[in-house]
Formats: sequence, structure tokens, C-alpha cells
Amino acid sequence: MHRSKNLKNALMAWTSLSPALIFIGLIILFPIGYTFYISLTNMNIFNWFDFRVVGLGNYRRALFVFDSGFLRALWITVIWTILNMVLQLVIAFVMASLLNVQKLKYARVYKTILMFPWAMPGYVSILLWRHGIFNAQFGLLNQWLYQLGMEPRRWLADDLTAFVVCMIVNLWLALPFMMMIMDGALKSLDKSYYESALIDGAGWFTRSVRLTIPAIRPIIAPAVIITLFTTFKQFDVIYLMTQQVGAQTGANIHTVLTYAYESAFVTRNYGYSSAVSIIIFAMLIAFSLLVTVLRKRGQSA
Amino acid sequence: MKLLFVCLFAALMLTVLASCGGQADEDGVITLVIWHDKEAEVAAALQTKLDELAPDIIVVLERKSGLTETLKLVGNSPGAAPDMFFFAHDKVGVYSEMRIIVPISDFVDAALLDLFLPKTIEAATYNGRVYQLPLYFETLLFMYNRAIMPDDDVPTNTLDLFRFMQRHTGGGHFGFVEQFNNAYFVGGWMHGFGAEMISADGVPMLDTPEMIAALHYYGRLMRLMPNEAEFATINTLFREGRAAATIGGPWLIPSIREAGIDLGIAPMPIVSETGLPLAPFMGVQGLHVLRVAAENPVRNEAIRTVLNHLISTDIGVALAQASGSAPALAASFDLPVIYNDPMVMMMLETAQTATPMPNIPEMDIMWTVAAGMLVDINFRGHEVEVAAANAQRRAEDLIALMR
Repeated sequence: MHRSKNLKNALMAWTSLSPALIFIGLIILFPIGYTFYISLTNMNIFNWFDFRVVGLGNYRRALFVFDSGFLRALWITVIWTILNMVLQLVIAFVMASLLNVQKLKYARVYKTILMFPWAMPGYVSILLWRHGIFNAQFGLLNQWLYQLGMEPRRWLADDLTAFVVCMIVNLWLALPFMMMIMDGALKSLDKSYYESALIDGAGWFTRSVRLTIPAIRPIIAPAVIITLFTTFKQFDVIYLMTQQVGAQTGANIHTVLTYAYESAFVTRNYGYSSAVSIIIFAMLIAFSLLVTVLRKRGQSA
Repeated sequence: MKLLFVCLFAALMLTVLASCGGQADEDGVITLVIWHDKEAEVAAALQTKLDELAPDIIVVLERKSGLTETLKLVGNSPGAAPDMFFFAHDKVGVYSEMRIIVPISDFVDAALLDLFLPKTIEAATYNGRVYQLPLYFETLLFMYNRAIMPDDDVPTNTLDLFRFMQRHTGGGHFGFVEQFNNAYFVGGWMHGFGAEMISADGVPMLDTPEMIAALHYYGRLMRLMPNEAEFATINTLFREGRAAATIGGPWLIPSIREAGIDLGIAPMPIVSETGLPLAPFMGVQGLHVLRVAAENPVRNEAIRTVLNHLISTDIGVALAQASGSAPALAASFDLPVIYNDPMVMMMLETAQTATPMPNIPEMDIMWTVAAGMLVDINFRGHEVEVAAANAQRRAEDLIALMR
């Protein structure tokens, strides 16, 4: 009787969940599965209808793309991810802390202003930076240089400057999200700990390192992981700032995705492009597992 | 409740998909769908002409952003694909290889195709078959600001142009500007030196002696151009009267006139070294027929009617005026409204030497690779020979991958 009731409950639960599971399967699992299938075929514009399975040939060829250009792109992607994450966390923490200063006037106004970049479409924001600030002919920076009697420069022409500029733009776009999460985490903390710390004479830095950061770490961890992946697979900022067709700036700062796009997707060889996509997907999965393992180790320590 | 929602959603989707087909209804009225990516004025002009076929044939024009990519996804799906699409000729190779379009000669007599300017038919021809009904065409034009470059001072050859640039460049002003990292624009210079980006059979030609000569020559002019090469900067410089001349498309003319520029249009300068004129790319806009529509006998007949209805000077002229381009039907140029329009006549003159954008699938790769080569030379300071050799290798590799 008891077993039959359990079975009934389980059936009911699965039945209730099934629309959502089917929906998730259709929009997430099916595209991945289909991309994997296409990656095993010779599908391109010359075999649009009559493509056939060719085994792992596309993966073999895709690995040839992983030449020195790919390794450079991978290296740039790793540096890009680390620097962006470190800067985002530090700046967002400082900003959120400032917003949580007791008796701060107009805190809501500041918060609204700081959220503004998040409210704007990313595409528009990036192009505003590209053409409004860093345009070598009309951009604000060069106008200032011109007024100061200095020679204008191409801000996005050399790799290092372009990388820094792209990072600034990415930070501008990404900081509001991290700041909002940090702000929420800070607000949830029990103030009595701070009262004790203040009595013990702990300054802001000590309180932050010993109390605040350990306390908010579990709260912000999911946001950090999400941002980590978003930053790793960043495409828009790098592409729109430096690589748009007809508006390339001369900087060669490909990330893994922009490199794959230029090396694989322009060929319209869908079997091959799918293989590249699956390889990048596998890299992200591996990266995700690594983060999970490190997180678990951190928690158990 | 959830199940009900799913069922309703599925029913709605089926209804939407089924309604996309455009079958004949009980009264024998056929609804055809044409996808396009054109401005409202152009679509309105075409719609007015197509409305003449009502009530027997109703033609619905639907604007699609990302038209080319959407067609790849649904071009062979009877429920989702349109019957025709209105686009430039340069994708006929891709769609022909994908077998989602059929030749226009299945619907229009060969004798009627002879009424079009030969270059427009040449542009629409792939593997010996014509895949587009040309409606109008555009070429780049040599435009100048009369306030800075008087008619007497307009350079007739590239050496004069270079000298003019030397005299008029400085202090934020320029003698001549164009999108010097964009292969579509620099293509005219390449052709003026007898070079081409790709051969008719899809072999990249980026490291030929003619190409090297063109790139060396162009490099001298580029040094007298602005720090930015992209569309907005170049056009703003000309519209603000800070550039004396530019090579640009007819689509710029309304905004240039609106900015109060006293605009002059001149023939393309002759390349002093070769004696050949700058020969820009030419784009032909027209209708293409989807295979799924052509295979339906009822719609096939309706498509035939539509295409033949559009072979008339009035629609060519209306579309050319709406788009600021030139009509594809040769007889249109005998009409006063056309031969009294200096811009259209200049486009016709330029078209005599212009090169239709290659319509082979491999060209998609060449735009990217050639632009990369130009950036390497113009912005990264690479040697012309090295950049050209690298680009050639890259193009060959990517084309091999494509196939």
C-alpha cells in the first residue's frame, strides 16, 4: 500500500515535471545533440541536402585549426578571464561597500545610476564606446588630445591598448550585475558581528577580509561562476570593438570564440563549424568541472 | 493546466506554419510571399506594382532582418519558406549550391532576358543559368563637394587625385576619403590595376603582380586618409564638408544633400599607371524564386505571372527612384525621367566598366580575408608582399575547408 502510494507520488511528480523537462530538452539538449550529430557529417553548402556521416574527420581537421593562432587566442582568453574577474570582484566589492556606508545620502540614486549600463543593450553600449570614445577621428579622447595640442592616436590599433580598452568596456558592462549581487549579499549580513569587531578595534580592511568576504562568499559564488563563463566566452566586446568587417582596427586580440568564428564559421562548412563548437563546448564543460572541484575543496577546507 | 498550455501552443504553431504556405483559396486567389530587406519606399513601390495583379494573385512583401541566414535555415521548408525573395545577386551561388533556388529562365523567356542590361544578367548568372530577375542595380560613384573641389578641378586620373589629396589634406581636412579597409571599396582600385580577388572558378588571386601593384599604389593614397576607415567616419567627414571627395554608394546621396553639400558626381578616375578606370563592384537587386514554391504547380504559374509582370520600365524606374539606383531594363534609359538624371546616367556609365560582385560561394570568404589583408597593410604596417602572400594562403586554406 505504502509502496503503491510512493509510486503514485513519483508518477505524479514526473508527470508534473514533464512539460518543463520536454521544454528544456527541446531548447537545450536537442541543439547540443543535433550540433554533435552535424559535427560528424560533411554538411556544407555543397552538401546541403545530401550530407552524410563522415565520422570524426571534422574533429581531426578542427584540431589543425588549433594552431599557433588558436593557442594565442586561448592564452588571451585565459588572461582576459582572470583579469576581468579579479577587477570585477574588487571594484564591485568596493563600490557595494561604499553604497552600504551607514547614513549615506542618496544611496538609491547612486545605485540607479550605477545600474544604468546594465539596462542598456550591450550592442548599443559597445558601439557607443567604439565610436563615441575611441574613434580615432571623432572620439572624445582624441578630441581632448587635439585640444591639448597633442597628436590623435588609434586607440584600438595595437594589441595591448586594444585589450585594455576592451577590458574597460567589459567592466563597464559587467560591473552592475556583480555590484548588485554584492550589495544584496552585504545587506544580508548580521550587523552584530561588525559591532563586536568595531569594539575590538578592527578597521575597514580587517573587517572586510576577516568578516565580510568569508560571509558573502557562498552568496556570491553562483554569480561569480556565471560571470566567469560569460567572460570566458565573450564575443561581442572583442568583435564589435576591433573586428567588425569594414571596421577592423588592426588589433589582433582574438579570443577562442572570435578566432573560431573567423577560422571556421566563415567557411559555411557546418560539419566542421559544429565540430569546433563541440570542442569549445567540451572545454567549457571541463572548465566548469574544474571550478566545481576547486569550490568543493575550498568548502571542505 | 500545463498540458492544456502545451496543446494550445502546439496548435498555434501548426496554424502559423500552415498559414505561411500561400496556397490558393476556394475562390482561386493565390497569395504569394516575398521576403526582402529593403527600405520602406522601395517595398512600397514594388507593392504598388504587384497590387495590379490582385485579386487573382495577392503578393505580400515581408521585411526580414537576417534574410540570408534565415533562408539557409528554412529555404527548403514548404511551410516556412517564402515563394520568392528580393535581394542582391551575390548570394545566388550559395543558394544555387544549396539547391533552394531555381533558375529564373524556367519562368521568363530568354528573349525577354535580352531586354536587360547585359551586366545585370551576367551578375545573376551562375554556372550558366540565370537565377535572378534583375530590377535595379547600383555601383559606387565618385562624389565631390563643389565647394572644395570645383568642377574644373575634378581629377580625371589617379595621379591628379593624389596631387589634389596632397594639397588638401591637413588640419582635420582631407582631399579624398573612402573606406580603405573594406574590400568592397578597394575592389575598384584592384580592378583598375587588372587584379581580381578571386577567379571565376573560385581560385583566390590575392598575391598576383597586379594585386601587389594595386596595393602598393593604394598605400600611398591611404597615408593621406583619416585615422579611421569605417563607414560612419568616412561618410561623416564628407557630409560635414571636411573631405573634398569620396567614393561611395548612391544610398548616401539623400543624407549628403540633406547636409547641404553641393554634390557633384564625376566619372571614375583613370589609373595613371594602367590606363584603366577604377572599376568598382556592382550590385544587382532583384527577385529569386525558391525551389519549394516552384515545385508547386499552382504557385509556379502565379510566380511566372508575377515575374513577367515586373518586366516593365515603369517598375524599374519606380524602384530606381525609390532606391537612388539605376533600372536594370535597358529601355528605361530612353525615358526622360532617367536620362535627365545625371546620377543614374553616371551609374550607367560606371556600370560599363564595373565588375559585378562575384556570386560564387567562395566569395564570402574572400570579403573577410581581403579585409584582413588591407588591415594588415594599412593599420598594422605589414609589407604588401607579405600580407598578400599570407592572405592568399589563408584564403586557399579556408576555401579548401569550405569544400
